Amino acid sequence: MTLTTAAPATRRITIIQGEYRVSDDPNVYFTTILGSCVAACIRDPEARVGGLNHFLLPGDANRAAGKDAERYGVYLMELLINGIMQKGGKRSRLEAKLFGGARTMMGLSDIGAMNQAFAEEFLRNEGIRIVGGDLGGDRGRRIEYWPVTGRARQVLFSSHAKVETAPPPPPSMGDVDLF
Amino acid sequence: MAFQKNMRVLIVDDTSTSRMLIRDALEQLGMTQIASANDGEEALKAMVASPSHLVISDLNMPKLDGLGLLKAIRAHPPTKKTPFIILTGKSDRAVIEHAAKLGVNNYITKPFTLASLKTGIEAVVGKLQ
Repeated sequence: MTLTTAAPATRRITIIQGEYRVSDDPNVYFTTILGSCVAACIRDPEARVGGLNHFLLPGDANRAAGKDAERYGVYLMELLINGIMQKGGKRSRLEAKLFGGARTMMGLSDIGAMNQAFAEEFLRNEGIRIVGGDLGGDRGRRIEYWPVTGRARQVLFSSHAKVETAPPPPPSMGDVDLF
Repeated sequence: MAFQKNMRVLIVDDTSTSRMLIRDALEQLGMTQIASANDGEEALKAMVASPSHLVISDLNMPKLDGLGLLKAIRAHPPTKKTPFIILTGKSDRAVIEHAAKLGVNNYITKPFTLASLKTGIEAVVGKLQ
């Protein structure tokens, strides 16, 4: 009789706007698609637990509405950090990678830059090191993040959406592994 | 307790950005005496040294969490009646019930708006200006 041990199956978890997830399972990775939204990938490398959130702060010049948006962003960051701490992470050891914040719609206000600035300022205020990521540009991206190892992979989309009259050419994608 | 402009308020939150946002909102509501603490342990020391008239506290914090702080404040005679509001992203029914048993005065959920914070505080200390 031969005994075989199957390798544990890799599990992909898709995160949509306004969501966050945390895991300490080495077989789990998170994926999300970003335009002007930003995803913060945060983990504690020692406790080997991490997570990802996906947020979009609505752009608004009005101070009160701007503060509401900021409070919403902080809320999503806190949920992610608390989730990591509940699984044994320690705030002082956290490190982050930031992705997204593209300017995908020319001519409109740069919401991507606002999301980017918020995320960077939040992490700076909280003393969380930024160890990688990719922000800005004018293209959407798909992100994959392994919360236990901190490995991140980005696929940039070809360009922002255009109205096509003929079948579009196959998209050229730039796969980049970011560790 | 009726609201007074010089009422001392203690914000307890382990996220410094949150503390700044809460302070900013309280200032907009007319409060001028605002102190803050990083966690329950620091808040308890501050309350013993110089009690505030109102505590607005997060739940999930290192060292001593919001429920632990509430319990300690209720057990300390000079602060046992101090109004205590929990301001948290956690809206778990069991946690809310536990907080109620410990004597919390109100529970406000994040993300808060200026209006929800005002309503939540007014329910405890009376009409703000």
